Amino acid sequence: MFSFLVPDRRCHADPMFWITVFFAGLVLLVAIIFFSYLIFESMPIWEQGVWAFLTSVEWEPAEDIYGAGAMIYGSFIVTTLALLFALPFALCGAVTASEFLSPRTRLVFKGAMEIMAGAPGVVYGLLGAALLSLWIKDFFGLIDGATLFTAGILLGIMILPTIMTLAEDAIHSVPGEYRDTALSLGLTPLQAFLKAVAPRALPGVIGAVLLGLGRALGETIAVMLVIGGLDIVPSGFDLFSPGQNIPSKLGREAAEAIGSGLHWNALLALGAVLFFGTMLLTGAGSWLLRRNKV
Amino acid sequence: MNKKQVNGFNWIKMMNRVLFLAFFCLGFWSVGIGFSSADEIKTVRVVGSTTVAPIAARAAEAFSKKHPGIRIVVNGGGSGVGINAVGRGLAEIGMASRQVTDKEKKNFASVHLTDHIVGRDGVACAISSEIFNAGVTQLTREQIADIYSGKIKSWKAVGGPDRPILVIDKEKHRGTRHVFMEYVFNDVNARAKGAKLITGSNNEERSKIAQSDSAVGMLSAAWLNADVEGVALKKGDTFIAPTVENIQSGMYPVIRDLLFITAGEPKGILKDFIDFVRGEEGRSIVTESGYVFVPGS
Repeated sequence: MFSFLVPDRRCHADPMFWITVFFAGLVLLVAIIFFSYLIFESMPIWEQGVWAFLTSVEWEPAEDIYGAGAMIYGSFIVTTLALLFALPFALCGAVTASEFLSPRTRLVFKGAMEIMAGAPGVVYGLLGAALLSLWIKDFFGLIDGATLFTAGILLGIMILPTIMTLAEDAIHSVPGEYRDTALSLGLTPLQAFLKAVAPRALPGVIGAVLLGLGRALGETIAVMLVIGGLDIVPSGFDLFSPGQNIPSKLGREAAEAIGSGLHWNALLALGAVLFFGTMLLTGAGSWLLRRNKV
Repeated sequence: MNKKQVNGFNWIKMMNRVLFLAFFCLGFWSVGIGFSSADEIKTVRVVGSTTVAPIAARAAEAFSKKHPGIRIVVNGGGSGVGINAVGRGLAEIGMASRQVTDKEKKNFASVHLTDHIVGRDGVACAISSEIFNAGVTQLTREQIADIYSGKIKSWKAVGGPDRPILVIDKEKHRGTRHVFMEYVFNDVNARAKGAKLITGSNNEERSKIAQSDSAVGMLSAAWLNADVEGVALKKGDTFIAPTVENIQSGMYPVIRDLLFITAGEPKGILKDFIDFVRGEEGRSIVTESGYVFVPGS
């Protein structure tokens, strides 16, 4: 009956096999329960109209009116900004580290990037609230530094090392023969990179970008500290207006709503939207990374 | 590729390391626990309004000294969080700086939320000291309403410098917001279209107002300081400043009771603690926290 697990029946006699299968099954079960809970508990909101929930910008718990428009807009703007900001730095850094640094320097550089990539969001958040939002306030002459723009830049800084180090892995894993062949044909190192290496590394680089985006989309505390927390869609794509994204909204309101009625359902519906978004991104990211490795 | 892989993985060495790390951590942990593991700890969880929290924190300290077996944990989060926590059985006492709303009563109909007044406090319309010193020392209800609804955008319109107003709103469940909005708009859930920023606790709101040089917000009067000034509000024909004396005498127009909320009538240690806060020892604690003591209510 367990033949679907492993074709070789000899494995079934080994207790280690069953232990690993048990834990793997447990993980799968948790994932399924988690997702069903999100969907099931947010059902009362979806029943009122999926489109209405996704597009309305009214969020008034006291009157039981819930619309996720402002939060979805904020999440979208903030992650897009983060990407636009991080991409040039991350890609240039990755190319430099992989192609033009000596092995030793490269390791130091990579080490630094990986430490940065592992720094917790709240640390970035504190720096953002203490420094970045003040700089942005003064530089652009705003009345306050808590804006969508600030959150986007902060997230950009956060995901930069993640994207850079993963993209660097992708570029570096392109076999040396490609470079050697290109160089022996008379191309300069830069030409060799652009013509021979970059096309091979591209899927991996895209994967790295998507994984970074996934982190940006889900980041809570760093954004909460600098975004302003206002549930609005500013008129005319005003980036210097305060806003709200999904994780920050959840962070602010979860404790007051735990388990109580439609408010809780609405927060879980927001969670489901976010979960779906990050799932798409990380799914696409790991798919591209896998294709690159094979 | 390297020696380790040629020789195979050294399980024994690895297990030794893991065990060492495990015991190392366990050691630290048990030392930490050891100090607090006196027999029969009873924990009372107090959660909610950051306005009420200083009273609860000071009272918890004094009370624990008298009753060594009791541990009282005080956490913020806001009035809505406190009421929700008691309603769901996540805390024994909820702190609230506002009345329980009808919606909350309906949500937690089965637990009979009961409130106990532990003090009284004023809600100030707080502004950055730069604006206060530039001459905006009093505001009418209509002016505040216009600022919060976005009709007045510059301090110039209310007698201050020509500078845009940074209007700070609070999370909707917060007690201070309910009381302030009730005063300004006669609606605890009023929307503030002019708002530029949402904050949570008193501390967060105060530091935001202090950080800016042109902000207006709502704040428990006990949180006012040299950087964050409370404007005088109109009552009848006179303007009353949010001073302790004016709140004590009831002259200041925005006054609210600070509450402990329990599920049903408190019993045992809970009753002892609440009586302690409302008794004679509570008087100095409440006054020290900057609030008005309400005797034997």
